[in-house]
Amino acid sequence: MRGYLLRRLPSALLVLLAASFLVFAVLRLVPGDPAAVLAGPDASPETEAAIRARLGLDAPLPTQYVRWLGDLLTGDLGPSYAIGGRTADLIGDGLGATVELTLGALLFVVVLGAAFGILGATARNRWVLGTVRVLTTGALAVPPFVTGVLLVLLFSVLLGVLPPGGRVPLLAAPDLGVQYLLLPSLCLALPSAAVLGRYLKDGIERALAEDYVRTATAAGITPRRILRRHALPNALPPVVTLLGMQTGHLLGGAVLVEAIFAWPGLGQLAEQALVRRDYPVVRDLLLLLVTVFVLVQLLTDLVHAWLDPRIRWE
Amino acid sequence: MTTHTPPARTKPAGTRTAPRRPRHAHRAALATARGRTGLALVGVVVLAGLLAPLLTGHGPTDQSGLSLAAPGTPGHPLGTDDLGRDLLARLLYGIRADLGIIAAAVPLGAALGCLLALAAAAHPVLDTVVQRTFDLILAFPGLILALAVTAILGPGRLPVILVIALAEIPVFGRLLRTGILVQRGREYVTAARVGGTSGGRILTRHILPNTADPLVVQIAVSLTVAVFVEGAMSFLGVGVRPPEPTLGAVLSQSMPYLAQAPHFAAGPLVTVTALVLGLSLAAEALNREIRR
Repeated sequence: MRGYLLRRLPSALLVLLAASFLVFAVLRLVPGDPAAVLAGPDASPETEAAIRARLGLDAPLPTQYVRWLGDLLTGDLGPSYAIGGRTADLIGDGLGATVELTLGALLFVVVLGAAFGILGATARNRWVLGTVRVLTTGALAVPPFVTGVLLVLLFSVLLGVLPPGGRVPLLAAPDLGVQYLLLPSLCLALPSAAVLGRYLKDGIERALAEDYVRTATAAGITPRRILRRHALPNALPPVVTLLGMQTGHLLGGAVLVEAIFAWPGLGQLAEQALVRRDYPVVRDLLLLLVTVFVLVQLLTDLVHAWLDPRIRWE
Repeated sequence: MTTHTPPARTKPAGTRTAPRRPRHAHRAALATARGRTGLALVGVVVLAGLLAPLLTGHGPTDQSGLSLAAPGTPGHPLGTDDLGRDLLARLLYGIRADLGIIAAAVPLGAALGCLLALAAAAHPVLDTVVQRTFDLILAFPGLILALAVTAILGPGRLPVILVIALAEIPVFGRLLRTGILVQRGREYVTAARVGGTSGGRILTRHILPNTADPLVVQIAVSLTVAVFVEGAMSFLGVGVRPPEPTLGAVLSQSMPYLAQAPHFAAGPLVTVTALVLGLSLAAEALNREIRR
């Protein structure tokens, strides 16, 4: 296992380094000099030069790149250009909101995924089975922006029970915060819950077809107990791996769901920073998101290797 | 958010000779109930887009004095939006714009991915380079890639096409590369090589035809992903520029008026759902037929 980690880690670091270079290079290609944008159209060349010097933009590009990597390692990301405040604070606030949304969604994924999987594998009622199938197919096929609009129409417009967008921090006001969190996290969770439900259903069905289940049934053990003690534990391990992979998807999907529900997380920050050409915020944010994604992929690979020894020797 | 359904598995090892299926398997797949429903849904949407100028007399950006008129208003069967534009016209021309984008982007990404996979198959060093390139693209989750590309190019139709194509390159590239590797190890390829067939001929006559099936399924899947990405980019404010309608753009413009005028959202909601469900059904029908 350690050998696998030692082989896998450098390649992940290499991807990150390449990504950082790419992000840096890409943002230098953006049309419009950040100093000129900041100084405004009427500024004299001297003002622009002063701003450029203050931001360190007059240094040669390789120096700027290395300086930036140094800043990243020390965590001191410097001031944002246009939004105001320090980049690290902005990203920290956004990260809190996005993590809240992702955790809420993860909870929905587990609960709904388990319900879809267990009902799909064990229910005998035609209507229940049909509902589960329609829900999972729909959740997988329909894009989140369609489900998002449908959820708002149903719960905010028709029933009027939940707010259509915005956020109240959960830790500041739990009762109000939950109301704002419910719709966006449900919208974010649905596709992943459907995937999880499908895998769980297959797993339980396979486990229920095993000989030991027949033996247990013959011994008079109740179906409920068979499911809980025998079928579920055998169906779970691959589903747990899948859950890890889906967490990465959730973080990616959060960017869109935030836009639908005006949730002030990293996605909204990225959008705002792009529109206002806030160059350091965009740069650090892109790299942060890529880093998280690479880490999730690495973790998933490690769990896979831990569960399946064949992968380690590939 | 890119939810790629798992690609069709290549045939289990042990089948000695490769070709065993009638050539018209794809047609057979689409003749199943599932395939037919899928094609019908997609067909209706595509037709509506193609016939847009015949189905409505309004232009997609023409403004009338009526703001948020209800459906059934004379001259505006689906009503009008907040700026008094005919919603039927916005919907039909929106479908057109979407179709144009995905019809350009998916084949572009597929072609580039396949070219890279062929390069990877040619030489081990190239293989490593190509594989790392795919890793790097995949390190940017779809929408982050969208933000990065738009940061350089600014919003518009071209960045949307580029984002979709870029995201599809590693998907098709990996699929074809794996396919080639699997087929190359098969006995019929060894037999052909022993028989003196040239490398190029083995590739074009034997290997590629046998790797095509998963690619066909992936095209259907990628088309749905393209609809996702276009809509998502419009919601993020980095899609096609405002007055021009796309399905995602019209839907995202309707968001502030959901309580007042739900009909504003109805057209794109139904259309996107029909299009995406139709493509998914077709993809599943193809996948089942191929796996049999």
